[in-house]
Amino acid sequence: MSRQIDRRAFLRRGAAGAAAMAVGPGLLAACSTDEPASDRKTGPGSSPRSGGTLRAAFVGGGASETLDFFNGPSALDLVRARAWHGTLGNLDPSGPDGVRYGVLKGIDIADDLSAYTLHVRPGVRFTDGSELTAADVLHSLSALAANSKLPVYRLAAANFDLAHARADGDLKVVLPTLRPIADGRMILCQGNFLVVKDGTKNFRKGMPSCGPFRLTEFTAGQGAAFERYDDHYGHVPRLDGLELRSIADSTARAGALTGGEIDFAHDLSPVTARTLGDKGNVELVPTESPYLVGLSFQMNMKAKPFDDPRVREAFKLAVDRQAMVDTVFYGNAEVGNDLPSIGFPDYAEGLPQRAHDPERARALLKEAGAEGMKVALTTGPETPGMVEMATLFVEDLKKVGVRTSVRELPAGQLYADFPAYAALPLAGSYQMPIPALSTYQMSTAGGSPSAFGWKESATDTLVAKARAESDQAEARKLGTQAQRTRWEEGNQVLPVFKPNLNAQAKGVRGIRDDLFEQFPGFSQASLA
Amino acid sequence: MSLIAFVGRRLMGAAVLLVVLSAAIFAATAVLPGDAVSAVAGMDASDAQRAEVRAELGLDRPVAERYADWVAGAVRGDLGRGFVGERPVTDVLATRLPNSLLLAGLTLAVTAPLAALLGLWTGLRGGGADRFVSTAAQVLAAVPEFVIAALLVAVLAVWLELLPRVSVIPLGGTPLDVPHALILPVLTLSAVGLAVATRLLRVSAADVAATPYIEAARLNGVRGVRLAVRHILPNAAGPAVQALTLTTGALVGSAVVVENVFDYPGIGRELQLAVAARDIPMVQGIATALAGVMLLVLLTGDICARLLDARKGHQR
Amino acid sequence: MTTVLTPWARRTRTGGLGTPRRHRPPLLIGAGTLLVLLFALAGPLVAPHSPTAQLAAPFQQPDGRFLLGTDVLGRDVGSRVLSGGRTIVLTALAGTAAAGVVGITAGVLAALASRRLGDLLLRCVDALAVLPALLVVLVLAAGFPGSHTALVASVALATVPFSTRVLRAAADTVLSSGYVEAALARGDTRWAVLRHDVLPNIAGPALTDTALRLVASLHLTATAGFLGLGPGGATPDWGRMVSENVPGATLAATPFLAPALLLVLLSVCVGLLAGRLADTVGRGAG
Repeated sequence: MSRQIDRRAFLRRGAAGAAAMAVGPGLLAACSTDEPASDRKTGPGSSPRSGGTLRAAFVGGGASETLDFFNGPSALDLVRARAWHGTLGNLDPSGPDGVRYGVLKGIDIADDLSAYTLHVRPGVRFTDGSELTAADVLHSLSALAANSKLPVYRLAAANFDLAHARADGDLKVVLPTLRPIADGRMILCQGNFLVVKDGTKNFRKGMPSCGPFRLTEFTAGQGAAFERYDDHYGHVPRLDGLELRSIADSTARAGALTGGEIDFAHDLSPVTARTLGDKGNVELVPTESPYLVGLSFQMNMKAKPFDDPRVREAFKLAVDRQAMVDTVFYGNAEVGNDLPSIGFPDYAEGLPQRAHDPERARALLKEAGAEGMKVALTTGPETPGMVEMATLFVEDLKKVGVRTSVRELPAGQLYADFPAYAALPLAGSYQMPIPALSTYQMSTAGGSPSAFGWKESATDTLVAKARAESDQAEARKLGTQAQRTRWEEGNQVLPVFKPNLNAQAKGVRGIRDDLFEQFPGFSQASLA
Repeated sequence: MSLIAFVGRRLMGAAVLLVVLSAAIFAATAVLPGDAVSAVAGMDASDAQRAEVRAELGLDRPVAERYADWVAGAVRGDLGRGFVGERPVTDVLATRLPNSLLLAGLTLAVTAPLAALLGLWTGLRGGGADRFVSTAAQVLAAVPEFVIAALLVAVLAVWLELLPRVSVIPLGGTPLDVPHALILPVLTLSAVGLAVATRLLRVSAADVAATPYIEAARLNGVRGVRLAVRHILPNAAGPAVQALTLTTGALVGSAVVVENVFDYPGIGRELQLAVAARDIPMVQGIATALAGVMLLVLLTGDICARLLDARKGHQR
Repeated sequence: MTTVLTPWARRTRTGGLGTPRRHRPPLLIGAGTLLVLLFALAGPLVAPHSPTAQLAAPFQQPDGRFLLGTDVLGRDVGSRVLSGGRTIVLTALAGTAAAGVVGITAGVLAALASRRLGDLLLRCVDALAVLPALLVVLVLAAGFPGSHTALVASVALATVPFSTRVLRAAADTVLSSGYVEAALARGDTRWAVLRHDVLPNIAGPALTDTALRLVASLHLTATAGFLGLGPGGATPDWGRMVSENVPGATLAATPFLAPALLLVLLSVCVGLLAGRLADTVGRGAG
């Protein structure tokens, strides 16, 4: 059975290769990096078997779970969608252009950075037999993603003029940019731009899909079941089937894993992950950079004394980052350097790691006349670790003479009252993994309310210039310069990047190979 | 008045009460600080985007107008869609409410007979057994629910490994498909209800046992179990029935702790998430449904009380 | 004094078929309760370390420095346990008192008023009972985050319907007994009847009801802490401590067991006291 699949996939790859050669050499430069046959080789000793059903559990979203992933707010909605639908591409540091393409063969950038041309891979079939064309990509981007309320899809609308996007024949989509950007491939191939059939309005079981699995069952708030889609354009899954379950409580998820009821548990709390340490049948597989969530504290520059850069620096020096990593996350986290998006290609390079220097912090506060200042730190349990870190930060601040305490709001409240949030002097926050310069433009540039008073048009301009620079080395230099300003004078204390603490049964392999670790994919997974 | 007339009047009263309560809930959620815009648009949305989302969700219209719209829809059976994820509220109720009802019902089914047994036995016997059982009942009633839940998990699931820590329900199925998933939640919830009902029954049973009516029955040769069940129980059950109805009705919506610890797909957790996200249609729909359930349960309890009264009347 | 007895005096509490029951004043339970209450209220004064400072690695086993080990964030469990009862006890007491006052007033008023008005009042209070208690707690906690008062109010609101019903029934029975009518006929004012006849006779059930509600309030407050509502942040709170440390129970048992056991002890003592009071009052004369 497996050989049959290999052969079909091989033939298709061959056909695609031939088509590419027929179209012209220019396209070869942007040719897809289809998985080479060598990755089918099994590791020494063990040979992952074909077949079986992998059961994975996620936090889920309760009643708000939906098949419409353009409006589904929980992580599980996107994981489900990734298994079900084809993607434009994923970030892959080892791939050409830094991406691994999905239903695309490549992306061309116009010389003046005014338009991006997406080349559709021919021969991608939906489950209803029809072929994926440019119209489908266009619809997914300009109709569905553009109208999505979710923050993650705003990246497309913020960078591209989706209203004027058009299909050029069956296999080309032209996206004009809103302003010149050179890193558009990184935006489009984030991993969450999935493609559905042109004209799709309703999302339901049985709709045509082109992802590695076919949806067979869905109960919102409970889970979904999939079976392998044998006609998948890319890597046909080794698994026979897939089950994605919702289990809200972290210890319950871990309990289901150790009890053998599931094979993969997503995003466990740090304490729960720690208790799995001595269980022989499971292993911890935390996500790796850049798929880390930054946990930060924002200082409101409109509130005295945070308008004084010395006070801001004092706060950044006062925090004991390593203690946070060790105490809250038991070492399963990375120290942050007060800048978001660590690990992305456009993250600042060469900046020294800020030290933990309470003496200097105290001196700076004295110099600024803010000795003994009083401030409350407001936060909430929006993501695990936020409240714990705030508790430790408050203790660190007390050690440099600041009079402070934690004001904890019930879950959901921190951002629900946004005007109140934007007025807080010192607030907890978190950053999702999105490329550094795009993060800056979306949430900090132009005096956005979530910038907490940071308004530096010089830095904004520099960031825009960095993004518009085709020369990668020069772009990186400009980007680093902009981020250095943020690092020196900014109002963000970002001490820790935490991974998603995933755990799997021993013997499960290949989840990481599917990239975009933040929302695990199972097309390359196998059971022991 | 006849039973039918009684039920009819109570149903009408319940309907009026539901309307009043739904208005109160709507007003309360409207006054809460914050709204669902951040949950839907994300925290780094621009002001323009927020305004757009606010208009889409209808949050820029006056409260009274929104409530009137909701009532108009509710009467037709359309409870609207949640703000977050846009799922129809009736869908959520249809899938989660039966699970909570099942849990409450099973808890009642376990508590009532056990309470009758223990209450009658200790109330009629007295002495050492009485003291022991009543003390044990009081101790059990005093332990907070989440402590019971944690202890049950620690002992039965982790230490003795008799039951799985969490039971994954097959897709598209109900908790009934995995009966052993119900054991721990029902045990936890029964603990308190059992204690209260046992104590009430014990007291009433002892009272009734001292009445002349029972003396007469005893003199007539009725004794033992027959005496207890056919003569004492109907007369003594009144207050216990009242208490059990109140606790069972409240259980449907308030089993949040159990739902969290055992990952039981009930409605309490949905309410918690909805309030956190300020998802007004969802809060409105769930809260009104829970109030409706409570009213029905209270009505059932009152009907039982009336039937018991009727029996009492006959026997006197 | 007439021979008409109130229900509470009517019950002879023969505990079985005619055998008189032993009755001991609940000294042991009362002393135990007082001790735990003292521990909860005065504990913060004797805590050896700061209850909020991070002092060591998390989930350390008990040793010389930390008698009960450290909790999830490396804080001293002993100090936190000493400081964690005050909020719960004070909030529960305040909520119970508030609900008690409202309950007695409403109950007596309902009994004093005409039948129809009384029923109406009861229906209004019932409306409160029909409202899901969880919703009340969540909404109040969301509306006034971190506020003790909000928690007290939600606890009181959740327990008022129960006491109103009970006390109305009690007051009703007293009022319908012959001697109240006689007193009124004698010319005593309603107020005097209230003071001298009604209130003393419902004191018994009121006391029992209060004790029962105190247990319920303790539970509600602790559960709110467990769910992460109520005054949060680093404020030690037994319910919150259980919820924070339960996931790490396999790493160290004391951080979760100590507050759990204290909660149980407190609730059990108050609960047993309530039970004994119920028995005592049941035997009391009218």
